[in-house]
Amino acid sequence: MNSYIDILFWIRQKKWLLIAMVYGMCMHHFVTPPTDLNPAAFDALIIISMALILIVTEPLPLPAIAMFMLFMQVVLGIDTANNVASSFMNDAVFFIMGSLMLAVAIVSQGLDKRLALGIITLTGHKTWRIVAGFTAISAILASFIGEHTVAAMMMPVGLTLVRYAHKDPRKVAGLTAALLFSIAYGATIGSIGTPSGGGRNVIMMNYWAEFGAGSVTYLEWIKYVYPMVLFQIPFTVIILLWTFKPEHSNLDSAVRKLVVDVARAGKIKGREWLAIILFILVFLGWVFLSEDFGLGIIALLGVFLYLSFGLVEWQELNRKTNWGVILLFGAAISIGIQMNQTGAAEWIAHVIITNLGRVIDNPAILQGSVSVLLTGVMSNILSSSATVAVVGPIVLDLGGDQILIGFATAIASAFGYFTAVAAPACTIIYSSGLVKSKDFLRAGWKMGVLSLVSLLGLSLLWWPLL
Amino acid sequence: MVATIMTNKKVLFDPKSLKFLTAVSSAEYSKPTLKMGALIASVFDASHGVVYVGERASEFHGSSVNLTRQNLDNWNIIHPGLEVLEWALQELKTLSPDNEELAKIQFNPDHVYEEDGRVRVILPDDKGCRIELVLREGELVDQLRKEIQLEGYDLAIIGGSQNKRHLAHSILQYLPSSIFVLQKFNPRKKYKLLLLVDDSTATGKTIEWGALIAEKLGWPVRTLTVSKTKRFGAGYQGAADKAKAYFDSRGIEVEQFFLTGDPVRTFVEFAGDNHFVIMGASTLNPVKQFLFGSKPIKTLEQTDVPILIVR
Repeated sequence: MNSYIDILFWIRQKKWLLIAMVYGMCMHHFVTPPTDLNPAAFDALIIISMALILIVTEPLPLPAIAMFMLFMQVVLGIDTANNVASSFMNDAVFFIMGSLMLAVAIVSQGLDKRLALGIITLTGHKTWRIVAGFTAISAILASFIGEHTVAAMMMPVGLTLVRYAHKDPRKVAGLTAALLFSIAYGATIGSIGTPSGGGRNVIMMNYWAEFGAGSVTYLEWIKYVYPMVLFQIPFTVIILLWTFKPEHSNLDSAVRKLVVDVARAGKIKGREWLAIILFILVFLGWVFLSEDFGLGIIALLGVFLYLSFGLVEWQELNRKTNWGVILLFGAAISIGIQMNQTGAAEWIAHVIITNLGRVIDNPAILQGSVSVLLTGVMSNILSSSATVAVVGPIVLDLGGDQILIGFATAIASAFGYFTAVAAPACTIIYSSGLVKSKDFLRAGWKMGVLSLVSLLGLSLLWWPLL
Repeated sequence: MVATIMTNKKVLFDPKSLKFLTAVSSAEYSKPTLKMGALIASVFDASHGVVYVGERASEFHGSSVNLTRQNLDNWNIIHPGLEVLEWALQELKTLSPDNEELAKIQFNPDHVYEEDGRVRVILPDDKGCRIELVLREGELVDQLRKEIQLEGYDLAIIGGSQNKRHLAHSILQYLPSSIFVLQKFNPRKKYKLLLLVDDSTATGKTIEWGALIAEKLGWPVRTLTVSKTKRFGAGYQGAADKAKAYFDSRGIEVEQFFLTGDPVRTFVEFAGDNHFVIMGASTLNPVKQFLFGSKPIKTLEQTDVPILIVR
């Protein structure tokens, strides 16, 4: 009796795994591939669609989904084991691994207290200025050290201010939302600013190299994209204050308590200076050496330095790094490369162009809108980096300038304002339990419009000048 | 564990070994649930676990969320959900002002132990009061099932707000304990106990639970036996007679009702809004229950009164 219940419960918990398996088997055995699509490409599409089902519904841990994507490539005969293994690891995966470990190393230094003091010194006590300061600092920092690191450091600052403003944060819901969203949306809009702002940017750089589209340096990326970050900051502040309407216009008492709290940490210590200097070195390495060494290798070098100087313990890095995500991105990029090599990405791009070409005459508008809308919608369902890993090969085959299409895709992958799952910063503020799903929708649609307009302006007014 | 045999004379429970689990969601919505959980636990002299099941972050960003939470610890900002458990402990103290052991316990959010995907609050000086506070993250039924299996709880107490109708099936089918769903429960209301009695093996335990609750709370007891036909077979009649004899032996007055009709519809109509229903879990094959439902599942889906399903 109990074993029946266990089996039924397993079916309940794993129903999406079963659905994905049945779907995959039916597609592989009973559906004939279109005549212009070779069987290997068809199989690559089956694997990626099954993986998407599994990633969105999470019936399995992420590493299991990664392994599934890898062994299925060999089982279905898409490529040899050695080729799959070599496509699995590349500089983008190194970068994701390095940046996740750097995040742990940086956050564990306790620099957030210095950051809090710095922000408060800059902004003063007025709520709108604090929201503006949070947004701007989150955006600028996230563009260099990644949004998850910034959100992890800024969250305690934001929550402490809220707690000092009112014992029960739910009684100051507007203030709470404004402060927390200024961190999340600030970090999200900033994450597009440089290649190191997010793993997805590096994944796109990797695809450019893989597709023979050319290369973009760290500084060139900044030149193309950073104006959009700066443009969006003030409008994000306006949107947040307009949407959430903080209950207090002045946080005088809360700020004073925060300053007292932070002052207990004392003067900045040598160890903290060392942590900052090492990160500056990593940053300089990204700017000046990444063309020769790769962003990922430099990130790993940074981790090596943090470990060598004893600023972080390996056990801590090992415990706090999400190895599952690293495996998943390796596998997703591997299948993305197969989509390119087998012609699957080109086939999908062709189908899109043929069908939507009847509606939109202008190829440039068609390519741009498809890449932005497809990426923007998917990043709200999946996650931004996974979206670029999956969508990247398709949009680069849409035609047109692959570099510009790639930029548009990487930027649009940060449009995950509508749900808590898209961006790590959004998940982090959601995990506080103080903001609700509907808050993401309330502010998200306005942010979506802002970002679309900004991207349009960037592509029409700024990029032609470069 | 609860004994499975009932005689006419005495209860075969070992109340000291019973373990009850109350699921809470917030101070705002879970007060009646916790109050009833504490009351029932004291009635049965059972140890009492309180669990809060929160949302789990997407696995993609799970490590970023954990990193943030560890950083929040440095700022003395507690893990979301712990404040609900802190409230629950305070509430339990208020509900049991005479419990000196409980009064001694202090909540310390730093004293938590993470294991098996759950966070357990370590309560110093908790000898004798048998309280457990646990935080879990994930899907409600999955997490409750894991907690019940891990700690061997005999009864899960769940608030009506958590029991969306579509969850009724999963709760009854997959939770491996007796289940008490407090739908529209009003702690100030005087309920009548309504025991559904038939020839199933679970009826014995239904009567035992009913008798204990009736004795402790002083609520009037009714038994209801429903037959699909006008003829009540020996099994139904025998079960009703046994129930009557058992209540008589314990000095509890009982009103007996015999009705004809569709069992579930009759239960629901009879229960109205002033009964507290106790019925046995289905003994149907789990696959049949999964495909076609069962009397307890359908009753839970259709009624709005508190209902205890005894397993």
